[in-house]
Amino acid sequence: MLRIRTLRRLAGVLVVTALSAVVLTGTATSAEAPKVVIWADHDRKAAVDKVAGEWGAAKGITVQVVEKDFGKIRDDLKTVQPETAPDVIVGAHDWTGQLAADGLVLPLYPSKATLTQFPQYALDAFSYGTAVKKLYGAPVALENLALIVNKKLAHVPKSFADFEAQALAFQKKSSGNIGIAVPQGTAGDAYHMYPFFSGLCGYVFGVNKAKNLDPSDIGLRDPAFLKNASLIDKWNKEGLLNSKIDYGTGKDAFLKGNAAFWITGPWESDTLKKSGGTGLKYTITSFPSPTSTCKSVPFLGVQGFMVTKFSTVHGVETAARDLVGDYMMRADGQQALAAANGRFPANTEAGKRVKDPVLILFGKASTGGVPMPNIPQMSSVWSELGGAWVNATKGAGATPAKAAFSTAARNIADKIG
Amino acid sequence: MSTSDAGGRTPSASPPGRAIVSRLIATFSGTVGLGVKILLLAVMNAVAVWAAAILAGDGKWIALGALIASTAAIDAVYLFSRRVIPLKFLVPGTLLLLAFQVTPIVYTVDVAFTNYSTGHLATKPEAIRAITQNTLEPPPGGKSYVMAPARDAGGALVLILRDEETGKAFAGTRKGLEPLAPGAVREQAGAIVAADGYTLVTGSELFTLDREIRSLLVPTEGSAAIRAEGLSTAIELQPTLRYDARANTFTRISNSLVFRDNRHGSFIAANGEELEPGWRTGVGFENFGRMLHDPLIRKPFLRVLTWTFAFAFLAVGLAFALGLFLAITLDKPGMRFQRFYRSLLIIPYAIPGFLSLLVWSGLLNDDFGVVNRLFHTSIPWLFDPWWAKASIILVSLWLTFPYFFLVCLGALQSIPAELTEAARVDGGGRLQIFRRVTLPLLMVAVAPLLIASFAFNFNNFNNIYFLTAGGPAATDQSVAGSTDILISYTYKIAFQAGKGQDYGLATSMAIAIFFIVGTISAVSFSRTKALENLQ
Repeated sequence: MLRIRTLRRLAGVLVVTALSAVVLTGTATSAEAPKVVIWADHDRKAAVDKVAGEWGAAKGITVQVVEKDFGKIRDDLKTVQPETAPDVIVGAHDWTGQLAADGLVLPLYPSKATLTQFPQYALDAFSYGTAVKKLYGAPVALENLALIVNKKLAHVPKSFADFEAQALAFQKKSSGNIGIAVPQGTAGDAYHMYPFFSGLCGYVFGVNKAKNLDPSDIGLRDPAFLKNASLIDKWNKEGLLNSKIDYGTGKDAFLKGNAAFWITGPWESDTLKKSGGTGLKYTITSFPSPTSTCKSVPFLGVQGFMVTKFSTVHGVETAARDLVGDYMMRADGQQALAAANGRFPANTEAGKRVKDPVLILFGKASTGGVPMPNIPQMSSVWSELGGAWVNATKGAGATPAKAAFSTAARNIADKIG
Repeated sequence: MSTSDAGGRTPSASPPGRAIVSRLIATFSGTVGLGVKILLLAVMNAVAVWAAAILAGDGKWIALGALIASTAAIDAVYLFSRRVIPLKFLVPGTLLLLAFQVTPIVYTVDVAFTNYSTGHLATKPEAIRAITQNTLEPPPGGKSYVMAPARDAGGALVLILRDEETGKAFAGTRKGLEPLAPGAVREQAGAIVAADGYTLVTGSELFTLDREIRSLLVPTEGSAAIRAEGLSTAIELQPTLRYDARANTFTRISNSLVFRDNRHGSFIAANGEELEPGWRTGVGFENFGRMLHDPLIRKPFLRVLTWTFAFAFLAVGLAFALGLFLAITLDKPGMRFQRFYRSLLIIPYAIPGFLSLLVWSGLLNDDFGVVNRLFHTSIPWLFDPWWAKASIILVSLWLTFPYFFLVCLGALQSIPAELTEAARVDGGGRLQIFRRVTLPLLMVAVAPLLIASFAFNFNNFNNIYFLTAGGPAATDQSVAGSTDILISYTYKIAFQAGKGQDYGLATSMAIAIFFIVGTISAVSFSRTKALENLQ
């Protein structure tokens, strides 16, 4: 009995040691050559594979592209373990403030020759700093809203009065008709209402002397805007705007020919192109302004690449800077990366090579646009700005716009603290 | 009726199943069993060794200690002990409990006492390093260069530089810039390909020199220096802040403004200017204090709390009432299509909840939704504060009544028929029998589920978020919408305010909610003890 037990123990110990040894040798031999790890979303993975792969092949370094949900890239970067952390990420420009404030991304200093190939607003979009602004990302692709006109139901508006008259006339024709489909819904959607808001002289944050966004200067309570806000009440009363239209409702109505105008961006360009097959005739144009003092402009979204602090730990910082701050900012790489998910490239040289008529029209509508504020305090704004708009445009029982926006401005100030 | 199909499932009537089980036991008690056991333990130990190597490499000694202790405990219990059979079940269970229940709770409590939030994720040394790096700026008239790393005759690393504007070439070393003869540096397609007297570093060797290239600063004027930016560009930069490790302060070089450690994880100047990033540090009970003092949180608190209770009570109460009613109705012996009705009623339960919620938010749309169109009504389902509350309760009812229907159906069938028959013989009316006999017996089984359901709905973030996102805005002009419950309100305060993410505040609010729910559950459970005495 005793012998058997001892044997069993021995057998156990032997197997355990053997397996452990195998594992240990396995981990010991996997001490790796340097490689650059990139987190990219599904749409862009193939293009990043191609562009970064070309760079890696030319320079003699391995590039590994890891696919992640776009939104997850930002959130996971905050909690990731250094061993598995990326050296380069794909990101949206409005993450810049948060990621820089967290110390997760490194400032880039591309050469002057490279910087001159980009419009200033694209660089500003990725720049952040409480005192001095630093560039934290290489802008790659631009996106913005535009006004889509159903040419069978309406023509490109010559002025806001024309826009308003056409929309209202179309709505009167039948009860299911929507004049302007502005996606909103219960919680509101500050991104899609911004062209109206900016046309009424509204803005989110002002800029301080150092040209940085100033979170204490809240444009929702700007006197010029509050003076114009009564126009929102007028539009609500006459039914020009209806915040009960959510994204799906608006899109559906436009594609079925039940909406004369639609406000959307290049992510719907495939839908628009396909809709040509169903007999929909559309064109893409910029927004007419309701006031003579301010232009109606969309928010600009810029996507790009950033170098993380983990690249230093991994010993590939110079490599990552070379890839992002140089190679990916060149016209060729830009063209491939922007085309990957149907956006207009940020590099002006690459922009001239764009042939897609829909993208060109969306690009034109971006003129004068404002990058979404990239400071972390913007988190306090989205729901309040959207909510104020919904309260003022929900039809019967709506709050007067001046009151709705003043409340929202006070809430934002409280939230920023 | 249903007793027939319930009978088939009772374990007492299945001898073939038993035979298989005993055969399995017989097979695995011998050498085969021992082999399997040793193999499983070996795999576990191998994983532990692999993990231990990583933990030791990272210097995580506490985690390493826990790993060694737990692995040794499992090995000892399974390999060497014969007398402590209960431990074989207790040890793995306890370890899993510690790993997946206790550790997250400890972490949550730990975070609640810190300033962990946007701008305060890093450690202090990391923050100092990041500030130092962010402070670099091109000096006025600072230059940028086309660059290539190279080695001089002695093998030392230098940067071959060509001024982007003037075209002049230099060799950059730690001592400074050495001009090179015109034509000594040759380029192709904007990149340096050769330099007389130097060997360019190319290919994969470049990537082993990351640290050397980064630390090679070519001094120019004052504190400015040229440094490599990537592998083919270099730029002249100078620091704008100076860190004094002994005084633990940063000083702005241009105006001598001093930034001091404010003991809350930031360097702040006297004028309020803050350096980013800050770091994570303990702040005591500050987050809990904010819940009491910060008007942003306090102002709508009572309104939100009241609605949270109302929502949780009504959602559970109505779903239970409807489920019970349907269960009683469908519990009639000899009813036709009984199974069909039952399956139909379970459908809402079978659809993923968030999908139903999204569909409902479309159906209930005030102007374009199917519901209003179908009934030719114009009820502001989602845009009126009171109707939005009603919509949320109705949709919750739709989502949860099948659960209570199933539970009640099962519980009803477990009540012995003799009891109700005896009551009938004694002359009890139908309602009386239900109230005095069926319901109390039913509650013995269902009451704990009601409490659990209440606790779940108290924190039912999805129902609120996907249907109304807390909207429409409330009239008290606060951040909380009219349908926000405590947990969705916490989300708004912690993740849609300030600089975006305030984990410290979020966890402290979560702990407060835990105490509310915990108290209610404890009180309710102690009450249901009284019910159990019925049996």
